[in-house]
Amino acid sequence: MSTLTPRAGGPGPRRIRRRLTGTALAGALLAATATGCGAAVDGTGGQGSGSGQGVITLSMQNPNIKDQDPATYALVEAFNARNPQLRINLVGQPVEQHQQQMTIAAQSDTLPEVFWVYDSLARNMVKDGKLLDLTPILEQKGLGQKFKPSMVDGFRQGQVQYGVPYQALVTGFYYNKQILDRHGVPMPRTFDDLLAASKKLKAAGIVPIAKGANSSAFSVWSFLTMLSRHGFEEKTPAILDGTLGYDNPDFLRLYEHIAELADAGAFPSNVSTQTYAQAVASFTAGKAAFLDSGVWEAAKIQKSPVGPHTGFWAGPEFPDGVGDQRLAMNAPSAPFVVSAKVKKDDRKYRAVEAFLHFYYSDEGQQILVDNAQPPVTTYRPKVNTARDTVFAAVLDEAGRPGWSSPSVQPDLAVSAATASAMYDSLYGVIQKALTPKEAVELVQRSIT
Amino acid sequence: MNEPRKPRTGRIVATAAAYLITFVILFPLLWIALLSFQSNENILNRSFSLDDLSLANYRQATQTLNLLVMYKNTLILAFVSVTAGLVISFMAAFALTRMVFRTTRRRVQSSLRYYFLAGLAVPVYVLLFPVYRIDIALGLFGTHAALILPYIAVTIPFNILLLTGFLREFPEEIEQAALIDGVGLWGMAWKVVFPLMRPVLATLAILNVIYVWNEFPFAVTLINDPTLTTVSLGVSQFQGVYSVDYGAMMASATLVLVPQLVVYALFQRQVISGMTAGAIR
Amino acid sequence: MNWLTTRRQFTLMIAPAFLLYTVFMVYPILYSLYYSFTAFDGVSSPEFVGTENYRAMADDSAFWTSLRNTGVILGLSLLLLIPLAFLLAVLLSGQVKGSAVLRPLVFAPAIVAPILVGLVWIFILDPDIGLANAFLLAVGVPAQPQWIGGSTLSPYSVALVHLWQQIGFVVTIFYAGIRMLPREVLEASTLDGANRFQQLRHIVVPMLRETFGIVTALVVTGVFKVFELVYALTGGGPAHLSEVLVSYMYHITFTTQQYSYGMALAVVVFLIGAVASALTLAGMRRRAAAR
Repeated sequence: MSTLTPRAGGPGPRRIRRRLTGTALAGALLAATATGCGAAVDGTGGQGSGSGQGVITLSMQNPNIKDQDPATYALVEAFNARNPQLRINLVGQPVEQHQQQMTIAAQSDTLPEVFWVYDSLARNMVKDGKLLDLTPILEQKGLGQKFKPSMVDGFRQGQVQYGVPYQALVTGFYYNKQILDRHGVPMPRTFDDLLAASKKLKAAGIVPIAKGANSSAFSVWSFLTMLSRHGFEEKTPAILDGTLGYDNPDFLRLYEHIAELADAGAFPSNVSTQTYAQAVASFTAGKAAFLDSGVWEAAKIQKSPVGPHTGFWAGPEFPDGVGDQRLAMNAPSAPFVVSAKVKKDDRKYRAVEAFLHFYYSDEGQQILVDNAQPPVTTYRPKVNTARDTVFAAVLDEAGRPGWSSPSVQPDLAVSAATASAMYDSLYGVIQKALTPKEAVELVQRSIT
Repeated sequence: MNEPRKPRTGRIVATAAAYLITFVILFPLLWIALLSFQSNENILNRSFSLDDLSLANYRQATQTLNLLVMYKNTLILAFVSVTAGLVISFMAAFALTRMVFRTTRRRVQSSLRYYFLAGLAVPVYVLLFPVYRIDIALGLFGTHAALILPYIAVTIPFNILLLTGFLREFPEEIEQAALIDGVGLWGMAWKVVFPLMRPVLATLAILNVIYVWNEFPFAVTLINDPTLTTVSLGVSQFQGVYSVDYGAMMASATLVLVPQLVVYALFQRQVISGMTAGAIR
Repeated sequence: MNWLTTRRQFTLMIAPAFLLYTVFMVYPILYSLYYSFTAFDGVSSPEFVGTENYRAMADDSAFWTSLRNTGVILGLSLLLLIPLAFLLAVLLSGQVKGSAVLRPLVFAPAIVAPILVGLVWIFILDPDIGLANAFLLAVGVPAQPQWIGGSTLSPYSVALVHLWQQIGFVVTIFYAGIRMLPREVLEASTLDGANRFQQLRHIVVPMLRETFGIVTALVVTGVFKVFELVYALTGGGPAHLSEVLVSYMYHITFTTQQYSYGMALAVVVFLIGAVASALTLAGMRRRAAAR
């Protein structure tokens, strides 16, 4: 065992040891102070400048924007073609990493000029003056008048208009008419209809509502509309200031209804392990009757085999609900925001201004529509209803006469922590991991 | 193992076991390779089916990704950070284990070693924000160095753990023989000990290269210039907010995986097995 | 041993590693430590709140669940990963034909992007569409366990996939250790097949004590870094029941934007990991000294 011979060694005087650790400490301190001071320095090489030759950078929540967000891609292309001297650099990351990067960039003051961001993060940024007040830009050439007030009001804090809507969030259930007809299920209108339909479809071996919780906790859109149909909007201020609990009887009743759906087998048995993408695929493959989703899937569904038989429904009405049940979710999604630093650079400011004016022009909005996104302004789009039947069905449902929309989707009206708890609570009941009571209490704990 | 021996049951069992375990380990990967030839719809709806195989995912992957740029950047990062990382880790490990003083400071060496080893327990997500700010402060953002320095730092604890471990087992007689021949400190470190540590250094090189090759959190946080993008970012390019192109993901994963395996195979054959057999006696 | 070095030589040798490590690893930890005592959303100015985040942790059932799940994975890894990897390393360094080809293949899982690992294992473990249950059904086992997505088996399944991903990594380190052994030892241990296991136990294993220590320390700290697997397999759900420490920390820090609470979790994860690995290394030392 020659390899294991012990080495020589003995105790040495303290003095040298102390000196050595002294050197080490000094080195550490030096390094720490150097970086500590540096951290406050403005990062010229950072996020904002990005790459390429663009005057400004637009940073989005998809890595491959051309394929994953064709509407934005087409808009930026059109803008760049028209304004070669104001070129926009379009960059993107997967949504989680994008949020993460924007948080870091805000900390280090290296935000890109224009970016997409969840509203809860945007509101944190406004608090620290990191975002540009867009009021002057909206006042020019009547840009502000192009929006329904509900589309921009949510993105105001005090006097600061920090955001403008990126796209409209039209959500609800896609349904497969062929499957419903084949199994003699009438198109539901109320919650009891949906419950009965679910039982019948389940018995026939069809997945009633396609859904996937894995890595897509946010995919509860129709259930957020159901919250709105239990008075979420009127209750929000009281819930946030603590005078009313999220565990109030109205919400609890809704969660009990969701539990009834779960018990009736309305959701796929692998709802916990499949992703939202898998849920969509099961709908487009004709395996499920309903899909909880939104307008962004219209183009994909149109192209799939089920396209010709697909309709769109704003979701069940509740005879025991609260307030007007004639609600279809057509609210602004996350905002576009602008870094406050743009103010200091005239050329960048002009580019931002020109881009926003182009985005919300009728021409810009028609580009959205051509890429199966509803307009966010009051522009009346030209839709090829014979070809884009699914998209047309979504627009029809969103614009039913006499119907209105909540001004904000419930999860976007609360903090990120509460929104996350809301997703957990809804999926917890759907997955039967939580009782309705536990679910509403979970959300309540995130508020207090 | 020089004299020829008759195959025995023990050997057959060992061989069978090795192959069986390898197959079990490999099975999910073979599946990834197989799925990379299927359409996204098929992957999600009928993952066991084998009809309708095509190269469409590979076309999509090569069209979306700038593979040449990605490989170039990754090779630069891997080469610089692993070479520099191993050299400085070796220096530190040598100092921590083999240096002996007239007035020994074993306790300093031992506490410094623990200081380095504590880094093994650091969850990488803690590092992202501060490292981003350090990179900006040092003016490294937008350069390869923005990633190279943290990569070296992150591999130091692991390298030092392995190197100090093996250096401590390393026989002292060789050093003593070299000392009698009048070799100085640097000669000792680089000409005597370093070559004898080859198997460990080669293993570390492989593990470090693979770390750099796959590293995602730093890369995604510290790169926002498409000309600096790396292969580890490739797969995530197909992950949209609402749509995920699993087929193209599988294809790009296969495109990243296969060259790595080939290099690993060649490298370990040449370095670990070949050169070391008989190096230590 | 009569060979001496000066303080300057020692400092020079250790300085580059020390500086880089301190700037890029130690400083960030101190930075997190600072934020863990504040209320901070990651963007607007932090506010000092003392130990409030740590007190909140004690009442956070999801934290305890994630700690327990991490413990399950740690236990299974120590119990299964180390012996299996050692056995495989011995097999692959012995007389198995083609072991030079098998070695990189065994390592392959460690190279795959975690998101794909999750995806392919979903196709295996999904209780409805997965291969595992289809296989059970085919061989006549009626039980259809909920490998992932349920509230009980998830951490065990994550441990299994973690084992799958790490085994090649650990095998490589054992392999290097075996290669460093004096050749006569290996030859002696392969001569007499009847006693091979005894020789492994009495000669090879004791000589690889340092390697076993290294591997144990790596496995222990590795478990405290498990993140992507959980993220891809279950997303931590349902209702955070399958969360592990790092995945829960990530969720809190980035998804719910409770940055300072996330940093407090990170500090605790670091401390648990550091203590666990220090105990491992110290235990190893003591065993070495006892000999």
